Amino acid sequence: MRARQRWLFATILAATALVAAGCSGTSPDDEGGGDGGGELSWAIGGSEAAPGGVHREVAEMWNEENPDNPISIERLPDDAGEQRQQQSLELNAQESGFDVLGMDVIWTGEYAVNGWLESLEDVRGEIEEVTIPGAFLSATWEGELWAAPYNSNAGFLYYRTDLVDEAPTTWDEVVQVGMEVAEQENIAPFVGQGAQYEGMVVNFLEYYWGAGGEMFNEDASEVLWDNEIALEAVEFMAEANESGFYASGFNTFLEEESRNEFQSGKAVFMRNWPYVYGLASDKAESEIAGDFDIAPLPTFTGEGTISALGGFNNAVSAFSDNPEAAKEFVVWASTNEEVQMLLGESSLPPTMSSVYENLQDDPVMKLLGEVLPDAKPRPPAPTWNDISVTIQQEIFPAYNGEKDPQEAVEAVGAFLEESIQ
Amino acid sequence: MATNDGVVVQTSPLRKVGRYALLAFILLWCLFPFMWLIDTSLKLGDAALNSPSLSQGPFGLDNYRSVFDQGFGYNLRNSAIVAGTTTIVCITIGSLAAYALARLPLKGKVLILSAILAVALFPSVALVPPLYELWLNLGLLNTYPGLYIPYTAFTLPLTIFILTTFYASIPKDLEEQARVDGATAFQAFYKIVLPLAAPGVFAAAIIVFVYAWNEFLLSSTFAPRDLAAQTVPVAIAAFTGSVEFQRPIGTVTAACVIVTIPMIIGTLILQRRITAGLTAGAVKG
Amino acid sequence: MSATTVAERAPTVGGKKSLSDSALARFFLSPSVLVMALVAAFPIFYAIILSLYVYQGRLREGFGGLENYTEALSSSRFWDAVQATFIFTVSSVSAEFLIGLGFALIMRQVFIGRGITRASILVPWVIPTVIAAQLWYFMFSVTPGFVNYALGLDRFNWLGQPGWAMFSIVFADVWKTAPFVALLLLAGLQTIPDEMYESARVDGATTWQRFWYITMPLLKPAILVALLFRTIDALRVFDLPQVMTGGSFNTESLSILVQRYVVQTPNPGLGSALSTLTFIIVLIIGVLFVRALGRDFVLNVEDE
Repeated sequence: MRARQRWLFATILAATALVAAGCSGTSPDDEGGGDGGGELSWAIGGSEAAPGGVHREVAEMWNEENPDNPISIERLPDDAGEQRQQQSLELNAQESGFDVLGMDVIWTGEYAVNGWLESLEDVRGEIEEVTIPGAFLSATWEGELWAAPYNSNAGFLYYRTDLVDEAPTTWDEVVQVGMEVAEQENIAPFVGQGAQYEGMVVNFLEYYWGAGGEMFNEDASEVLWDNEIALEAVEFMAEANESGFYASGFNTFLEEESRNEFQSGKAVFMRNWPYVYGLASDKAESEIAGDFDIAPLPTFTGEGTISALGGFNNAVSAFSDNPEAAKEFVVWASTNEEVQMLLGESSLPPTMSSVYENLQDDPVMKLLGEVLPDAKPRPPAPTWNDISVTIQQEIFPAYNGEKDPQEAVEAVGAFLEESIQ
Repeated sequence: MATNDGVVVQTSPLRKVGRYALLAFILLWCLFPFMWLIDTSLKLGDAALNSPSLSQGPFGLDNYRSVFDQGFGYNLRNSAIVAGTTTIVCITIGSLAAYALARLPLKGKVLILSAILAVALFPSVALVPPLYELWLNLGLLNTYPGLYIPYTAFTLPLTIFILTTFYASIPKDLEEQARVDGATAFQAFYKIVLPLAAPGVFAAAIIVFVYAWNEFLLSSTFAPRDLAAQTVPVAIAAFTGSVEFQRPIGTVTAACVIVTIPMIIGTLILQRRITAGLTAGAVKG
Repeated sequence: MSATTVAERAPTVGGKKSLSDSALARFFLSPSVLVMALVAAFPIFYAIILSLYVYQGRLREGFGGLENYTEALSSSRFWDAVQATFIFTVSSVSAEFLIGLGFALIMRQVFIGRGITRASILVPWVIPTVIAAQLWYFMFSVTPGFVNYALGLDRFNWLGQPGWAMFSIVFADVWKTAPFVALLLLAGLQTIPDEMYESARVDGATTWQRFWYITMPLLKPAILVALLFRTIDALRVFDLPQVMTGGSFNTESLSILVQRYVVQTPNPGLGSALSTLTFIIVLIIGVLFVRALGRDFVLNVEDE
């Protein structure tokens, strides 16, 4: 009967589908998991972890010299928050899927306190003697070394050479020159990262540190937050927002948005990471190719420079099946000159100080060499995440005129006190 | 004679113009952002980010090429299988449940409906940690069942609701008649109710399919990286630019276009089924 | 008649139903209940139990009873989230309903290119939410500034101001889901027989009267289902505000707040408490809707 046939057909269809879908499909990297024998798995994300990226080249270099302990990249998403989320899921479950962790410099304390990392104290000497001090500090927590610095990052001041003769050395100068020129050219004076996220905290800290402020002392046992200096920084931001020094939309900008504005010629000054240099010099893409340059970030006092330290460190998972080999790898990636040169040539700032001498031809690397010794890491405290979120919650509304700056600054100070209890 | 589901045969020219103007507006509303997606996906490099103008080039197919270079074909396969299985399973067991609720005697139906509904209400982000542990222990990570089982669970409430509404709205006399003629409950359901409720069933099927296809939170947790099971939205979110921080808007929009066009074609086909289902079993007395 | 019937009991003609039908009902319901219990009910109970413990970050400190709840309920951030969520829900659901109803009424009619129109209407809904969120982010953002460009505005900061940030998010949501509402309502419209309209016309009813006295009442179940599910979804909105504004400028919804405490700065106790509170809020509203719907069901199902 027709009815019966239709029933049968439907049932078969459903059954086939279910059976076929019972397992999972095949995938191109079905080389049989990373858990067997001496294989290592490197959990790192970002564009450089994609095929053709420099992390892959580094992995290949290692594999040539260490055929017994080959390393393969377990590629994480682009966004640092997502990377942390995926690593956390794995580590919280105490799984051995990741051997080497590519960690953002601000996660060191958090991961260490959660018991997710192997201590690297026994190889401390090797690493410390070749690494930039700021980067080294970012890999320690409570005086102990938990990760091997891998690549670094620092903020630059970008400025339009066709509109401005010399890079200013104080923020007040930047404001003055910026507003003047912007008015003439009908563009915005300044773009940076002002949206409510970690990037804004970085921008704020660069003002705060540039005014002489500190957050913690050396071993993070004491809070050195200064309400007055912080207020200065916040009021600067609020004034900048109000007066139009900050471009319209500044409070929604992340790195890409500010790059976009600057690259389309719509801003005089920009605060951003080194990555913009290459993109903005591309004649095909950029409106301002050849018309801009980079300089150290200004301070409020006019002396020296301060920028926030970024970058990634490699750590060994406490749940790895192969900690010895993993440890060797992270030390190697941190102290091997060839590897660090490779990073430098691919526009990823190395953490090995000696490498910068060989890269003087590259304007970005040259400036980094100047700026990195003074780059300050954000405190790699386990509570950094909470601290950052608190700063976001307080300072963001404060500079947008939605909250009293004095209150905001005091709230942050209070939270910092709490966090070291 | 009445047309399929038309309303009037004669219209004044003014009404016609008005109607077509409204139609044009609707089409613009729906399609314009999609046009923007296509336009952006064809732009090379940073052109899309730099200027809002639609006609600013350069144009090319590079983005589409690089999308497939990243293994997107696997993601399409995975999404199709997971979404398809979810739809089949969900509609099947949902239909049974809906029929029970609509036709068969049961105490406390409103209570049951409420409980079913309640299940879908909990913020899924909070369900992720315990589910992840469970899935880890059951070995369901990076597998198809690991995805279509939770998808089914979360779409069942809406499916059951829609189907119950449709089944309940069909006049009972037709079934009664069939039962009198000797059909079982099952046969009455399959031969009489189901064809008449076809529009509802297809609506529910489309809803389930689209939900499963677009779902992000669970799939990014249960199958984050392994191409054996990674679905389309997760893959798109993982696209990287060529340099750190760079947002790969070209590849993202290209992937989106690739994903949407088959959906549109599928819907075009299914639309006919909905109207066909209506003519098959006339609800006219 | 087919000779392969499974149930051997004699069919009834209305009035009392036999016992087998009741058992059949339970049998039909069981697979659904089973799946939902495993996947949804278990983690919910787990989360609720978790909410009764106090945490310092990820580390469990001890049993706290309702401490997490009092902390949540006394925080202004929670109530801000409630307000933001309600504003979003009311605005987007009403807009979606009105626009969706309009679309459905138009789609129901006969015209050239009807199939294409129907398929087009589904395009917004078919695009993954995270992509749609990114799309509208690009549109509304000051850079590249598409909306500003189209409207001739100079650098209007849509996403960076209270009020307008919410507007942008609501706009994006309405764009995306009005078609979904239209689909549900259209399916409902198609079950209304033409004769009713015809006889009404013959009796001299105007378009408006036909709409108000025939369409609306018969469409009521579909409307309630559409409103119910849209409201529930809107109360749990996450992707759009997360991608478009990150929750700034009073757009932090309840789900975003939950995510902050489950993922961003994990505190399992507080995060679960916030989830439970969100769940309760949504549940109450859902129950109110089902009450309204339930009567229709009851009437429909038990009409003797």
